[in-house]
Amino acid sequence: MSTRLEEPTTTQRTTGELVLAVLLAALGVYLLVDAGAIAVPGSTNTLGPRFFPYLVGGLTVATGAFLALRVLRGDRAPSDDSEDVDPDAPTDWRAVAVIAVAFLAHALLINVIGWPLAVALMFAAVAWALGAVGIVRPFLIGLAVGCIAWIVFVKALDVALPGGTVLEFVTSWF
Amino acid sequence: MGIDALLGGFADAITPVNLLFALLGVVLGTAVGVLPGIGPAMTVALLLPATYVLEPTAALIMFAGIYYGGMYGGSTTSILLNTPGESSSIMTALEGNKMAKAGRGSAALATAAIGSFVAGTIATLLLALVAPTVVDLAIGITAADYFALAVIAFVAVATVLGSSPLRGLASLCLGLYLGLVGTDVITGQERFTLGIPQLSDGIDVVVVAVALFAVGESLFVASRLRKGAVQVIDHKGSWMTKEDFRRSWKPWLRGTAFGFPFGALPAGGAEIPTFLSYATERKLTTHPEDFGKGAIEGVAGPEAANNAAAAGVLVPLLTLGLPTSATAAIILAAFQGYGIQPGPTLLTTEGPLVWALIASLFIGNVMLLVLNLPLVGVWVKLLTIPRPYLYAGILVFASLGSFAVNADPLDLVILMVLGVLGFVMRRYGWPVAPAVIGLILGPIAENNLRRALAISDGDLSVLVDTWFSRIVLLLALVALVGPFVLRLVQGRRATPEEVQRDGHLEHRDDESVVTSGKDQ
Repeated sequence: MSTRLEEPTTTQRTTGELVLAVLLAALGVYLLVDAGAIAVPGSTNTLGPRFFPYLVGGLTVATGAFLALRVLRGDRAPSDDSEDVDPDAPTDWRAVAVIAVAFLAHALLINVIGWPLAVALMFAAVAWALGAVGIVRPFLIGLAVGCIAWIVFVKALDVALPGGTVLEFVTSWF
Repeated sequence: MGIDALLGGFADAITPVNLLFALLGVVLGTAVGVLPGIGPAMTVALLLPATYVLEPTAALIMFAGIYYGGMYGGSTTSILLNTPGESSSIMTALEGNKMAKAGRGSAALATAAIGSFVAGTIATLLLALVAPTVVDLAIGITAADYFALAVIAFVAVATVLGSSPLRGLASLCLGLYLGLVGTDVITGQERFTLGIPQLSDGIDVVVVAVALFAVGESLFVASRLRKGAVQVIDHKGSWMTKEDFRRSWKPWLRGTAFGFPFGALPAGGAEIPTFLSYATERKLTTHPEDFGKGAIEGVAGPEAANNAAAAGVLVPLLTLGLPTSATAAIILAAFQGYGIQPGPTLLTTEGPLVWALIASLFIGNVMLLVLNLPLVGVWVKLLTIPRPYLYAGILVFASLGSFAVNADPLDLVILMVLGVLGFVMRRYGWPVAPAVIGLILGPIAENNLRRALAISDGDLSVLVDTWFSRIVLLLALVALVGPFVLRLVQGRRATPEEVQRDGHLEHRDDESVVTSGKDQ
């Protein structure tokens, strides 16, 4: 068992945690302020639509502030284990960015080129960002997954999912 | 009434269609339990759109199968990979992994599977026995009582389950906020919609759950992917011997005894009972020299506790409509999708459905035993899927499940935004489950609070009007303040490795960060 007392990027991590706690408190302030703007119908006799938001807002501000305080006093988040995560690896921001952009692009492409093709492109981009070898093979695998999932969910389960001109034409007979 | 109703449930569950969905559920559940990166909560969330086409019994039987199957599958991963994802599998991994490395993987997998079966069957039986009693007790429950129950579920999920109570609360706050977005059902006023028309219907549960679990997890893994080929320990070796059975059966039963009550409490969860089971087995063992080197008791007990707790979680869900785990919360959302509001009246209004569900759990358990004993080699193959393809595939299904809800690309943009939120939460150690429970239970809590206060004309004392709500709120207060007080008095909670070393639970005084289990 290796026991590490300090993470290599401790200060960076602390800053991140602190920012997150402050953002949470800010969310709470937003809730409190915006809750005041919720229209209350005249017919509401006791507890209107504002009460619970005020409650949640207050809890959020308190939690955010308290968490920020704890982080400043040296409280660290527990390290988060996952099967495929290497806790010593540096953060690969490039992979995160590529995946986020690929996902947003596929969201916009679904209604243009159909879901199977859009997810095939996303699949290829994500696999590439995660270090898969080649680009044609991931694309073909993605296309196969997309087409099979589309046929199962659209033809068998009646889920509304644009298939794209080609696939919709080819499968129009069943 | 219980036995007849249960037999009726079996009659409903044994129809070919329902058997098929039970099988589909347990196969899917085992697969996602084995696969890193996805779990039963996310799978059920992805399949929620199936509620539009399936009849309630079939869909809920499938979801319950996924829920149970995920518990079985998780043990395979934790024994053969030594990098447990789910906190409830950590204790199984401690000894199971050592057994696998010593060439006893086959026996470890077998004791986990049989222990899961024994615990699952006993706990499901207890569920069937306890449920009608709890319903009888709960039938007179008031809106204020229900609000108190929701509060204790919030507190328990946020503070008891994670290792950092404050971060659990933070996650809960996010979930409560997301639950507020949309139109207030009582007055019809829009809240926090930022003027976006699509948000006036609220943010869909599917989108939030898939974003936080699947997309957030994928981004988190992408940021720190373990490079190189996946190393799976060989699971060959001799099967359980007579000696192994002799050493396993008591831990199975004791694990069940720990797991079920903890799961059934509104402060449920599998983490604490697996901890307790491990510590107990370590104390009671006649082979103390094996602990830390692969003791079969250390696999049998925690794994049984894990499964018994999973069944226990269904008690508050089916009798009170109170979800205490992420998967339970999403199953609750499935009930709501059918216009069924789980609560004390569920067993009377939807009796046949609930009993068919419970009966299907018995059947599912048998199926899971068969799937996991002889077919374990098939599941192990799943573990070797190249990670780039695995996570790309997870994102494909995340897209499918979220797009299927409204066929609106904006949902996918929201999915990514919340996915980034999930990534940041994972990165800084905020648990994700409290957010999902806050999202689903929050609106229910608000409605009950407002109903209670409408009856009392706004008098807040109605919230502590009955003994029931007084005790529950007091317990919630203890659960909320307790961890902070304990921390002040005793220091941090022990990590699994410390339990393994010391053989008992104790609190540590220093605040140093200990990262765990990475000894390769």
